[in-house]
Amino acid sequence: MRKLMTLLASLLVASLAIGGIARGQEEAAAPPLNEFPREETLIINNPEPPAINPGMFNMWVAGNGAAWSNGLHQLVLDTLWFIDPDAGLDGALYNQLAKERWQYNEDFTEMTVRLREGILWSDGEEFTADDVVFTVETQMKTPGMVWSAPFSQYVESVKAVDDHTVHFTLKQPNSRFHSIFSVRWNGAWIMPEHIFSKVEDVTAYDFNPPVGLGPYTLHSYDPNGYWYIWQKREDWDKTALAEWGEPGPKYVIYRSIPSTDTRLIEMVNGNLDMIHDLTPEGMFSLVKQSPTSRGWFPGFPFAHPDPTLPMVIFNHQNEKFQDKRVRWALALMLDARAISMASYRGAATLSAIAVPPTGTHPKDYHAPLQDWLVNYELDTGKQKIKPYDPTIGLQIADMVRPQFGDQVPTDEEAIRTAFGYGWWKQDIQAATELLESAGFTKQGNQWMMPNGEPFAFKLTTFSEGVINRMGTMIAQQWSQQGIQVTAEADPEIYRSTLPLGTYEAATAWSVETWGGDPDLSFFLDSWHSQYVAEPGKRQPHRNWQRWKNPNLDKIIEEVRKTEFTDPRNLELGHEFVKLMVDEMPVIPVMSFNVFSAYDTRYWTGFPTAEERPYANIVTNWANSKYILTQLKPTKQ
Amino acid sequence: MSTYLVFALKRFLQFLAVVFTGVSASFFIAHLSPISPVETIIGRVSGQSAFSPEAVESLRQTLTELFGLNVPLHEQYFNFLRRFLVGDLGPSLLAFPTPAMKLVGLALPWTVGLLTLSTILTWLVGNILGGLAGYYQNSRLLKAFGIVAIGVQPIPYYIVAFLMVIIFGFLWPVLPVSGGFAMNVRPSWSPEFVGSILLHGILPAASLVIVGLGTWFLGMRALVSNIVTEDYVTYAELAGVRRERIVSSYVIRNAMVPQLTALAMSLGGIFSGTIITEQVFSYPGLGTLLVRAVNAGDSAVVLAVSCVAVIAVATAILLIDLIHPLLDPRIRVE
Repeated sequence: MRKLMTLLASLLVASLAIGGIARGQEEAAAPPLNEFPREETLIINNPEPPAINPGMFNMWVAGNGAAWSNGLHQLVLDTLWFIDPDAGLDGALYNQLAKERWQYNEDFTEMTVRLREGILWSDGEEFTADDVVFTVETQMKTPGMVWSAPFSQYVESVKAVDDHTVHFTLKQPNSRFHSIFSVRWNGAWIMPEHIFSKVEDVTAYDFNPPVGLGPYTLHSYDPNGYWYIWQKREDWDKTALAEWGEPGPKYVIYRSIPSTDTRLIEMVNGNLDMIHDLTPEGMFSLVKQSPTSRGWFPGFPFAHPDPTLPMVIFNHQNEKFQDKRVRWALALMLDARAISMASYRGAATLSAIAVPPTGTHPKDYHAPLQDWLVNYELDTGKQKIKPYDPTIGLQIADMVRPQFGDQVPTDEEAIRTAFGYGWWKQDIQAATELLESAGFTKQGNQWMMPNGEPFAFKLTTFSEGVINRMGTMIAQQWSQQGIQVTAEADPEIYRSTLPLGTYEAATAWSVETWGGDPDLSFFLDSWHSQYVAEPGKRQPHRNWQRWKNPNLDKIIEEVRKTEFTDPRNLELGHEFVKLMVDEMPVIPVMSFNVFSAYDTRYWTGFPTAEERPYANIVTNWANSKYILTQLKPTKQ
Repeated sequence: MSTYLVFALKRFLQFLAVVFTGVSASFFIAHLSPISPVETIIGRVSGQSAFSPEAVESLRQTLTELFGLNVPLHEQYFNFLRRFLVGDLGPSLLAFPTPAMKLVGLALPWTVGLLTLSTILTWLVGNILGGLAGYYQNSRLLKAFGIVAIGVQPIPYYIVAFLMVIIFGFLWPVLPVSGGFAMNVRPSWSPEFVGSILLHGILPAASLVIVGLGTWFLGMRALVSNIVTEDYVTYAELAGVRRERIVSSYVIRNAMVPQLTALAMSLGGIFSGTIITEQVFSYPGLGTLLVRAVNAGDSAVVLAVSCVAVIAVATAILLIDLIHPLLDPRIRVE
């Protein structure tokens, strides 16, 4: 009898649970019964964890729990320009809602934007200059919105000159003001004035269902935030994206799948077309299991190099790292081949210079600077050496070839693109001479600093993943050379350790670029000495190394006066790279390679590293919407 | 009866003390976290966009004031207690200004549904088989089950969960390996939706049952093995009482008291969610919510989940304490 009662109680609990689930869902959304034929449906992995506030689509409010990369910022929202981290369909710089490039006055205190005509919001309203003005003014007068602070900092006034022209007057000269409206990963999205102007409290509004300028609208979503389904607008040709073609899929589903193993299984089973990222081992396994799946590169190293640059960051407010001979000695103690193998199982794209080897940067920076690097001379105090080894990428390719065979490229140019152009060769003798010239001495196998204390420090690194592996290997290599280095995993490295300067050295990155454009202002402006915090104070993004240099300031100040598209920016970029090599304030190591994968079973036309690198395949980047215009169903 | 009322009142006061201590400890632990929700949001909005250092600093000040983090901790604590007494745990800092309890309410049915069913199923099957194995010590089938239980019980849960994903999602892909229900069904009382929920719950529930079964089985078998040597069991056998009746009414019933207490605590523990299950099977629930909140420094949601768990466990213990004297005369005497 008791068992019967227990069973009945269990059934009651189950009924209540299902009832609660059903009711919760109905409150959030009530999608009709539908099927999504695979020839009409693209299924994408959203790397974000399941949305914490699934029914929230107002992504202009900071911290309201709205998911971003669930398709909302890729497919629904839009803004003036996009700068692709790769080559782009017709160049990396897209005029999106803007009809043409920005126009500044002589001293960069005014900017005029001409907008496209005939663009409609998804509810049929026309997009006009009033929407842009409303976006800026609303956020300026409402603190706590995502772009409130940048707009308030820069904008004196904004006005609609006519329906399709906006004029900004700035508080101070700013040659990069357009960057706020230029999407690299994300940017200041335009708000629908006709919706938000009727809302009493903009910060509490859920914007559900969202009304956008992109070619898709919300079809339905999981009340627990695991999936979002978007449907192509019938009037997709009234969106700015139409210039690059009709998006192929009628439906696009974004699925949040926290476990990388499950992502792999779902792709093999045909339930995912694009994966944001896997582990290196996961990628190697995927291409073995699924003949239709591949990464950015057709073979080894598969991964897409992000325009970020993992590196060793020295805290320049720590006296141990203030002598550039010490920093150079530490660089020359490293064996890049072992670091590549330990972190990425060889699938790393190395960079000796402070620009990530991705997008258009190899063409703009790495290739043109090869001769300079090969001939670069370093004075160790006893001799002059040429520390650069342009063959390191080729050596790593040879190391992984026995395991991966034909998947490893043999063409030298292809190897350079995949494995990097070269790195510093490990030279223990030169490192020894540099340390000795800086006053260091060696007692047994222990390096002693000029003050007589052992040369010892902590290397703070990520708590897991490839950067953790990289940090551990670097610490090990320095320890083998007689420096007491302990790798310390730190989950708070970006949120507190780097900003507060509570570290000695770290493996992370302080260089991020546009990727598709040689302009380095994206990170470089924040490296000006005017932003370097006093010890103990919080350092603003991104000069985590707190490095000051008058020559660097000169470069930054000239960039500020140079128009974004001016070729002089590239020259200034080269000057920056050379200064970084001379001073070695950080040790650049490699690009952050993301093991994104896609499957060609149901769709073709994805970008490829070797033939059509027209867009970043990493799915949470907003620019991935351009991929949709190139996709065709395979009709399987 | 008046003695029982005094006993009940004492236990209720203990319950209040436990809840107060538990939620206070949760508050301070949640606020001791080095993770700042403000920095989490700043990282998200500015990390990959063209944000100047001045704009970042301005946003930091705005968010700190908005979240009420610019007042001393003791003041935040008293504000929390005042709100807690009226059932308001404040807004989530990760989904501001959505109430933290609303997020908990959204995740709760999934966790309660999955864990209640799997816990009760595990408890029932484990105890019945354990009881039988303890009594019928010569049964080959039950001996074999005991060997399997001993073999499976020490395997870490995540290994079993991954094995199930690999077996039923990859090698023999017959069951869904992620999500709570299929994307093309409408949530309602329709057979499609209920069927979809059950189908998606099979693997997570089965993984919990497989791992949990051994513990109950072995515990019950040990208890029963001791009880069968008691005089009253021997006497019942000599008196010719039917073996089925001896097993059910004399042996298992007596062994059930500690198992019932453990069940109550397990059911109370349900409200803290099952993090690994939800992560492995992409299953919605409190565990996923808790992990996200901890990682983002959302102390309000961490507190909301913790408070629900503290109250649930304390209530379960209170109920068991109140019921025990009615079931077991020995406790009544004490």
